Amino acid sequence: MRVGIISFAHTHALGYASILRDRADVECVVTDPGHVDRPAGESGGRELAESIGVGYADTLEELLAWRPEAVIVCSENVRHVDDVELAAAAGAHILCEKPLATTREDASRIVDACERAGVLLMTAFPVRFTAQYGELRHRVRSGAMGEILSISGANNGKLPVERAWFADPALAGGGAVADHTVHIADLVFGLFPDAEATEVFAVANHLLKPAREAETAGLVSIRYSNGITAVIDCSWSVPDHYPTWGGLTLRVIAEDGIAELAPFAERVDGFTELDRSPLWLPYGQDLDAAMLDEFLGAVSEGRQPTPSGRDGQRALEVVLAAYESIETGRPAAVRAL
Amino acid sequence: MKPSTVGLVGAGGIAGVHLSGWLSLGFEVVVHANDGQAPVLTRRYGGRAVGSLDELLEAADIVDVATPTHTHRAVVERAAEARKHVVCEKPMALTVADSAAMIAACEGAGVRLFPAHVVRYFPAYAVMQSAVAAGRIGRPAVQRYFRIGAAPSRPWFRDRTLSGGMAMDQMIHDFDLARWVAGDVEAVYATQAGDETASSTTVQAILRHRSGTVSHINGVWGRPTLRFHTGFSVAGSEGLLEHDSLRHGVLGYDGLSDAEQASYLPPVDASSSPYTAELSDFAGAIRDGRTARVSAEDGVEAVRIATAVNRSLDEHTAIALEDLA
Repeated sequence: MRVGIISFAHTHALGYASILRDRADVECVVTDPGHVDRPAGESGGRELAESIGVGYADTLEELLAWRPEAVIVCSENVRHVDDVELAAAAGAHILCEKPLATTREDASRIVDACERAGVLLMTAFPVRFTAQYGELRHRVRSGAMGEILSISGANNGKLPVERAWFADPALAGGGAVADHTVHIADLVFGLFPDAEATEVFAVANHLLKPAREAETAGLVSIRYSNGITAVIDCSWSVPDHYPTWGGLTLRVIAEDGIAELAPFAERVDGFTELDRSPLWLPYGQDLDAAMLDEFLGAVSEGRQPTPSGRDGQRALEVVLAAYESIETGRPAAVRAL
Repeated sequence: MKPSTVGLVGAGGIAGVHLSGWLSLGFEVVVHANDGQAPVLTRRYGGRAVGSLDELLEAADIVDVATPTHTHRAVVERAAEARKHVVCEKPMALTVADSAAMIAACEGAGVRLFPAHVVRYFPAYAVMQSAVAAGRIGRPAVQRYFRIGAAPSRPWFRDRTLSGGMAMDQMIHDFDLARWVAGDVEAVYATQAGDETASSTTVQAILRHRSGTVSHINGVWGRPTLRFHTGFSVAGSEGLLEHDSLRHGVLGYDGLSDAEQASYLPPVDASSSPYTAELSDFAGAIRDGRTARVSAEDGVEAVRIATAVNRSLDEHTAIALEDLA
């Protein structure tokens, strides 16, 4: 299968390229014309593609002329919509990085473009592919924990230093709230597919990395139509030199007990004298690989992949309500899809 | 003169802990409880039961109020009238007005008043707060605290008119800690799920501090089988501090039957307990005329935050603390 990657702007693209390079059933070509506009010192372009060992196209037109059956859109969040429209029109099925878009209108345009072109659309929420999340979902839905009351989640990470645009609202659509709320919002929707988020209250500040334009810390409280509540800590609060990029934890509080999910917990701990720092060697599941399995499997079989574009829209609506609440200091209604 | 006798009012859950704490510090303790349970307590831990509050006030140098929350103000005012220093279990009272009246009564009588926010004396929290205060993680930006445990078995806790509910009774520990670390709170928002009066419940509160720091506080009252579990994460501009009470234990057992485990577990040593450290700090503050780690004003501010959280739960909106009546 021919699979294209549009842009190395999102650092996840590097991981996707490596996974696709190693798949015998996939040919992978990347285009990253935007790298010339990125700040000096940020990697990208043909040089990066060659160092990973995947093909390279100088322009998006050239990539699409190669007739990829599927593409992964990894450009800056505000550019998703234009890239998706072009790729969909060229007949490629689409896996789009999260957040799906930065505005409601752009998200609709993405979904509409894919429907119009008759191509599949998936949103990149890899944490859904944690095997134990599947087990937790089964337990929650079967009622084995009693009524679910509330969810407390934290998705914290380092402020991405390899790419400045993450903390530039003009390109990212926001900061930590846009970047990190969506994963846990999506996990909660995955547990309760019939529930709607109804209202959001959020706070944010710039106390971490105050020189950056975007907010770097945030807390988002969500009410759902089924009576459950959730709070998400979406802060970029992991120190720059911490032994790992960050993590995600989810505490599900139920009538009969509590479940704690930590998808990135599996690791070997140690210490090295070589650079006098802790060693933290993760050996957990490769969630990106599992997500790409689902995407490429759905493309092969012509079925809708999960999480869908609509799942991406639902998570984005929570983010948009969070920004409205940060602006007004009051709870904000979540717009129904 | 060095105070030597404590009058402990109440014989419920916390009273036994305080009684053994005071005794281990070398105080004489007299105990009175309206429910007639004082002799049960003194037979178990020591001290001397007395038949009336008047008798207790006659004998005591310090009065320790360990009664249900709704009675705190009346007992503290009696103690102040009798010109006794006061230690009062948290929350100080059900309302800011009651708490302020208690402070006024103690100030008017020239006696000290200490609210028992004991978690400030739990070593992990104390170590964290002093590291933050020393600037070791820069400016705190976002902090999380959680407190999970079985719902209290005594019925009055589940009656918000008597206890103030879970936010006032349990989460107030973490409201106080969040404010201790990041300063005064300007606004709160909270949600609750589950029936506080009958079954499991949880409250998730968000606090916005004047310093700009934001805090998430999560309290759970659950099934009796739920282990007591607390923790925090405090992230600042230059670092991160985290703790989980179920990790870092000094001694653990596995493979034994429940009965064997119980018999192997050492009794909690009153002399090294955070409760005793707290009472010792209060006693020293009274003796030496110095401040303690927690003040009556801290107690009022914790009640103010919990009151705002309860109002947010009722009104489903954010509450500015300055808007509280």
